Amino acid sequence: MELAVQLIVYGILMGLVFSLIALGLSLIFGVMNIVNFAHGEFMMVGMYIAYLLSTFLPLDPLLSLPFAAGAGYLLGVVSYRLLIHHILRGPMVAQLFGTFGLMLFLRYLAMYIFTPDVRSVKQGILVGKTLSMGWINVDASKVFSAGVCVLAFAAVYWMIYRTKLGRALRATSIDSEAAKYMGIDTKGMNALAWGIGGATVALAGALLAHFYYVTPTVGMLFTLIAFATVALGGFGSIVGAFIAGVLIGLIMVVSGQFVSELKFSFIYIVYFLVVVFRPRGLFGW
Amino acid sequence: MMLEVKNLVKEFGGLVANGDISFELRRGEILGLIGPNGAGKSTLFNCIAGYYKPTGGNILFEGKDITGWPPHQVTREGIARTFQGMKIMPNLTVEENVMIGAFCRTGNRQIARKEAWEILDLMGLTGEAEALPAGLPIAVQKRIELARAIATRPRLLMLDEMAAGLNPLETKEIIQTLQRIKEEKKLTLFLTEHVMEFIMTVSERVIVMAAGKKIAEGSPVEVARQEKVIEAYLGERYAKGR
Amino acid sequence: MRQLFIDIFFFGDRPHFERIGFLIFIIIVLVFPWMVTSAYGRAVMIKFLLFALFGLGWNLIGGYGGQVDLGQAKNVGFGAYATALMMVWWKTPFWITVIPGIVIAAAESFAVAYPMFRLKGHYFAIATLCVALVWKELFIFWDWTGGARGVEIPIRSGADFVYMQFNSPIYYHYFILFLFLLQFFFVNWFRKSKLGYEVQAVRDNEDAAASLGINVYRTKVINYTIAGGLGALGGSFMAVYYLYIDPDAVMPLDLSILIAMTVMVGGAGSIWGPIIGAAILIPLDMYLGAWLGAQKRLGIDFMIYAMIMMVIAAKEPKGVWGIIERVRKKGAR
Repeated sequence: MELAVQLIVYGILMGLVFSLIALGLSLIFGVMNIVNFAHGEFMMVGMYIAYLLSTFLPLDPLLSLPFAAGAGYLLGVVSYRLLIHHILRGPMVAQLFGTFGLMLFLRYLAMYIFTPDVRSVKQGILVGKTLSMGWINVDASKVFSAGVCVLAFAAVYWMIYRTKLGRALRATSIDSEAAKYMGIDTKGMNALAWGIGGATVALAGALLAHFYYVTPTVGMLFTLIAFATVALGGFGSIVGAFIAGVLIGLIMVVSGQFVSELKFSFIYIVYFLVVVFRPRGLFGW
Repeated sequence: MMLEVKNLVKEFGGLVANGDISFELRRGEILGLIGPNGAGKSTLFNCIAGYYKPTGGNILFEGKDITGWPPHQVTREGIARTFQGMKIMPNLTVEENVMIGAFCRTGNRQIARKEAWEILDLMGLTGEAEALPAGLPIAVQKRIELARAIATRPRLLMLDEMAAGLNPLETKEIIQTLQRIKEEKKLTLFLTEHVMEFIMTVSERVIVMAAGKKIAEGSPVEVARQEKVIEAYLGERYAKGR
Repeated sequence: MRQLFIDIFFFGDRPHFERIGFLIFIIIVLVFPWMVTSAYGRAVMIKFLLFALFGLGWNLIGGYGGQVDLGQAKNVGFGAYATALMMVWWKTPFWITVIPGIVIAAAESFAVAYPMFRLKGHYFAIATLCVALVWKELFIFWDWTGGARGVEIPIRSGADFVYMQFNSPIYYHYFILFLFLLQFFFVNWFRKSKLGYEVQAVRDNEDAAASLGINVYRTKVINYTIAGGLGALGGSFMAVYYLYIDPDAVMPLDLSILIAMTVMVGGAGSIWGPIIGAAILIPLDMYLGAWLGAQKRLGIDFMIYAMIMMVIAAKEPKGVWGIIERVRKKGAR
């Protein structure tokens, strides 16, 4: 019983981080129908920023959050301007290989700079602390991260559904041609989607770095987790991504408890089953 | 009887695109299907050719019930079609495009190739055989689509908006070609068009559709006189005021 | 019979300069081990032929079929493991182990293709990737596959044509060349066969293909099955060439990507594409990798790969072969 509750709490906390990771992927897919294979690498950048700031400067990794988000935003916008914009009209194969190239580039750039060594954030107010609530013990960093993820998610949701900018973004997502005739700068909207996508996922990365190791190859796994999440929530759906993230977190934690070697396989199988049998996601009909 | 359509219904989420359509198509005849944009002509075509599954009703081809068959089986049964917006394989040469049609009836490349060339010759396309279709004029692309469809050796050929995008001279040429291949290949033709002139000169009989329903049937001259038809095309006010 | 022979071994439909190019290529690979004596140079050549062979198989699904498969490494793994395990367990001769390798890879591809081809484009690509990763995790997880430790093939002395183990790279060179040519001529036949044309028709326009009597779904499934089987052949070679395999060596995502990239860089959907792509990427990888490795700078080789990939995607989706064709057409005009 205790174990079960512990697992569920842990799964939900991880899941909320997954939600934020998946948010950008879903947003980008929704706006321009392109899948970003480099998504996990954007996250990795956030993780390394947290690592760098806490290791080489006497700063708490928490202070790296705004830097990570900013860097992620820049990375997203620059990627869009330099690469994505040029492959958007190309064949599907070119789109796939374009973002795949971006993924490899970032991954091996990290390999070049940081070597393949496994690194982790060693100090910070939250690192290694545990919160005890009755008989449940949870990492303080995970609780905090989950909280920040919910806030960030809410902020992006508010931006998309309650502001004028968000309305323009949604218009572009529904029909980019029509939006263009309405005087919306669709190119700018695309860049914005990439910026938000990059910022949110890098923020999630900086949070994740508090309790997850950093390597140059860490991204791929999270890209795939994000794919599974977005598939489960319905491609392009923001709310779907949120709920699906929590579900994926639970699936991973619970399956990891029983066959830890295969916990990622369960995620891949979820993706496979969902896209094949429920192509509009768990909630879409 | 070549083709019998009985009480065909096709709905898209409650929207009725084809409501209770029935008609017959006799062997060797040229039947035209006309109607304004959005009348449901393409939907009807797609139901017969297997691209849409009808919501209700039956389609009989030479007495055989082919309702809901997938497109490739419909083609193998002897019904070929062309598309309104042309769908030519862009990375294959004209010759190969037609050859793929011929592969419908044979597994042998030599035979397929020989047949493709016969049809290319018939359609006056031998000069373009080696070219990629992308750069060719629309009139030529239409001929490629036609050639490819004929290569599957159909008994019934369905042509969707053959004259769209052609100038009067090209239209005339394609009509001549059509009549020639109809004789030579002993085809039955079923064509849709929203341009009246083309279909009225070619067809022996026409069906008129409007808003998903069949509103008239008969010889072109008969049909053109009917008030309902004029109304459907030009609006109620025009018909009354005439 | 005569026609079959012509279909397999001739390129009558290709322009003159391509046939001459192929002849020159054949002469080079035939005399290569006698011209280049450095062990490293020969190893580069063997790896080039291996990846050209992988590329030929992937070209079926990714090039002619137009379906981006990012999981070809699983088939390589099936081939490699079939060969290695059968040799360890039952001392089965190499040429017999090849058959179950191909059959297993094809059967697995067939089984997953059925649900998977309900997907298109990106969804399909990610699904192939997921399937391959699940297999890799399973091969690490299982005990009977040797787990993460992998499988070692017992070493034999001297030249052995039953187990295909040799002391000299010259043997391996002609061995892989033989396998490469086998696959090359198969693909040459395939692209001109009815199925080959059907596959290309489906790639170019599914609706049009269906209107010509082609069963789109079935065509995709069969094509994916054949491409899967072809992937296993190179895997079997890897087992006897390296004499040691583990999931990280024969089933990683990087291998899937490199195979796909070979074809994309060279030119997808052309029989020369995989050869050109491998001729560019493999020497680049091995010489650059060696040079940079000596400098202790990991990653630069892959960064260069990645740049090539992005530039190709943005500027020339038809790869190097696309450039050659364009230049030639301009010259002809």
